[in-house]
Amino acid sequence: MRMKNSEKVALDKVVALQSLRQQLGEELGQKITSGAELLDEQQRRESRWSSGREDWDASLGGGWAQGQLTELIAPEVSTGSGLVMAQLLARARQERRYVMLLDVGQGFSMEGFSANDLETLLWVGCASAKEAIEALDVVSRDENFFLFLIDLRDSEPSDWRSVRASQWYRVLGQLRQRESVALLFARQAVTAVAKQRLELKERLSWESLEGEREVLKASIRFQRSQVVAPECKRRPWEDCRGEILAVG
Amino acid sequence: MHRIGEAVDGNVSGYAVIWCPDFRLQAVVRRVNWREDPVALVDDQQRQSIVLARNVAASREGVDVAMKTVQALARCPALRVERPSASGELAAGRCLLETALGWVPGVEETEPGLLTLDLSTQVEEAWLESGRRIRGRLYDVGFEVAVGVGETPSLARIAALAAWQKGGSLWHLHRDNRIELLDGLPLTAAETGEDLNERLRLWGIETLGAFARLQREAVASRLGEEGVKLWLRLTGRLRRPLKLARLEQLFEEHHDFDYEVCDRESLLFVLNRFIKGLSSRVEQTGRAVIAVHLLISYADGGCYAKRLSLPEPLLDEMVLFRLVSSHLEALEMKAAVEAVRLRFEPSDPVASQRQLFGAGLRNRFQFEDTMKRLRRLVGTDRVGAIRSLDSHLPGVFQLVSLPDEIEEVREHCGPPTIGLVLRRYATAIQARVMLQGERPLQIHSPRVSGIIVNASGPWRSEGDWWHRGREWMRSEWDVEVMKQGLFRLVECRGEWEVEGYYE
Repeated sequence: MRMKNSEKVALDKVVALQSLRQQLGEELGQKITSGAELLDEQQRRESRWSSGREDWDASLGGGWAQGQLTELIAPEVSTGSGLVMAQLLARARQERRYVMLLDVGQGFSMEGFSANDLETLLWVGCASAKEAIEALDVVSRDENFFLFLIDLRDSEPSDWRSVRASQWYRVLGQLRQRESVALLFARQAVTAVAKQRLELKERLSWESLEGEREVLKASIRFQRSQVVAPECKRRPWEDCRGEILAVG
Repeated sequence: MHRIGEAVDGNVSGYAVIWCPDFRLQAVVRRVNWREDPVALVDDQQRQSIVLARNVAASREGVDVAMKTVQALARCPALRVERPSASGELAAGRCLLETALGWVPGVEETEPGLLTLDLSTQVEEAWLESGRRIRGRLYDVGFEVAVGVGETPSLARIAALAAWQKGGSLWHLHRDNRIELLDGLPLTAAETGEDLNERLRLWGIETLGAFARLQREAVASRLGEEGVKLWLRLTGRLRRPLKLARLEQLFEEHHDFDYEVCDRESLLFVLNRFIKGLSSRVEQTGRAVIAVHLLISYADGGCYAKRLSLPEPLLDEMVLFRLVSSHLEALEMKAAVEAVRLRFEPSDPVASQRQLFGAGLRNRFQFEDTMKRLRRLVGTDRVGAIRSLDSHLPGVFQLVSLPDEIEEVREHCGPPTIGLVLRRYATAIQARVMLQGERPLQIHSPRVSGIIVNASGPWRSEGDWWHRGREWMRSEWDVEVMKQGLFRLVECRGEWEVEGYYE
């Protein structure tokens, strides 16, 4: 197949840029870093809270992002989001930290959790996503809580779409200030404020009902997905990022 | 064995009296801060207004007690005429008492402007120095007082009166030279009746010391009960227990608005001032605040009272103000406010200290505040720490308070180490289930419909059959619906429901 003209031009540009970068490196004798590399470096430096499992930490980039909102998308039933919640509660209990669960739909069932792990959990039953975010706005200011779980798995899109973007940003500001961890459990992307969006796509088998928890957790695969505002999809040209060279 | 007059712990028992002469006048003068100007307190409830009390500056101008106000003004045109103020006297009394409590814990409010203190908790060497210090502290807050120290409350009172009459600030009627000191005091210093004074003067007894030297039997036979009582007082033989002031009723401020107040800002302004003043007063006694009592009087005759409790004793003005202001914000004021009263309930400050490696609530006040706001937002029955109930009925739990401290993780207790986590639907979903024998084969419901490829059950349970109307019985099935996931079905008396799903 013949290469399109536009693709050929783009490839030429990349080759020219690489040669320029090499030339600059030779002349200046210093380390040359691109803007994209700088961003990646900054991301690596961000605080992470270990999930308590090495395999998960590896796929999460060191753990759950602190001072950020992470969306955990379980598009279908029985993809293991409950196991993730159980692991989060166990980890927080182990580290003797308080956890708050904002449960929209109030479907939380204590049967699936160890009584130990529930000791530090404060449950808040919310009637709607809007109420949950208002509650999160209140509680995220409290320095006593480290981990916030927002369960929107049973919430309809019309429900969480009523939450204003400004509310999400206000909450994000407070999370950053406190370096807290916030996880939003949902069936689909909810907000563009989320720093990280992880998807659980693989459905667990019938045998998992009697499988060992640790084995089941090991089978969970997080898939990173691009954070795009669910309300307005980005247009193609907005994703094009120019290469900015920085001399370090 | 300890001697009479000596406390059990070795400290000598003694008493002090703090006397604030012309207390009603001082309460007013202190409030308006006219110490140097001539001021008179007048009673205009009578047909003709008369002077009840006057300060030294007014006395120098010729103003005297019981003089007509008009006459007093004629003598001293610059005289400031004041009326007695009940709220001013209350505040002054509280201030006196609180300051005295900074000296010793046992204080009796004997009468307005006169306090009796039990000094047995302090070593004798420190009495005079403490007395001077307390007098200085009272002077700073606008009181001129005399302090008397003696073996008994009566002797201490005589000493205080003597101190004032002699122009001194502090008198100590020491037991070793008591009689000699009493020799220098006139009979009036013992506040005896005119008749007794006159009879003693006729006998040639001019001083208290001379009277104390008489024989008890001679006094009893000639002067009767009144004479004996005075003799017992002067010889230190008359003792009485003190009615100690209760600290709980002390820290209170009251304000009557000159005009009716409708906005919260004015109210908060006054309350903020109260909080600052009361906090420093509580601090002086080495205590902290455990609760705040708020009383608002409305113009329509109604009133609102509330006790705002704190999770632990504290003295942070900002936190106390936030507590009161956040409560006022939520309060619907049905009428204009006429008066406001604020009282601090004191308590011992927190003595506990967390373990070095302990974990728990970092900020209890913030936590309590968060809880209040959350409960207001979602309702009181939807916030709490989840704990199991003593029941086999699935899905029921109780909500309790979150623990203040988090203990180390104990051995793993209870289930589950296997399986998935169940999440229930907010309300169970009615379903039509096709059966093959007893086993579910196909399901139709608004949430999930399809062929059941795997099923496990029935898991039967029942309970509360011993409570009429509350009995329950159910059969659970765990099912896998083709390409849809794992669910829990419940069959109860032939009706099927989708209870939740496994995650």
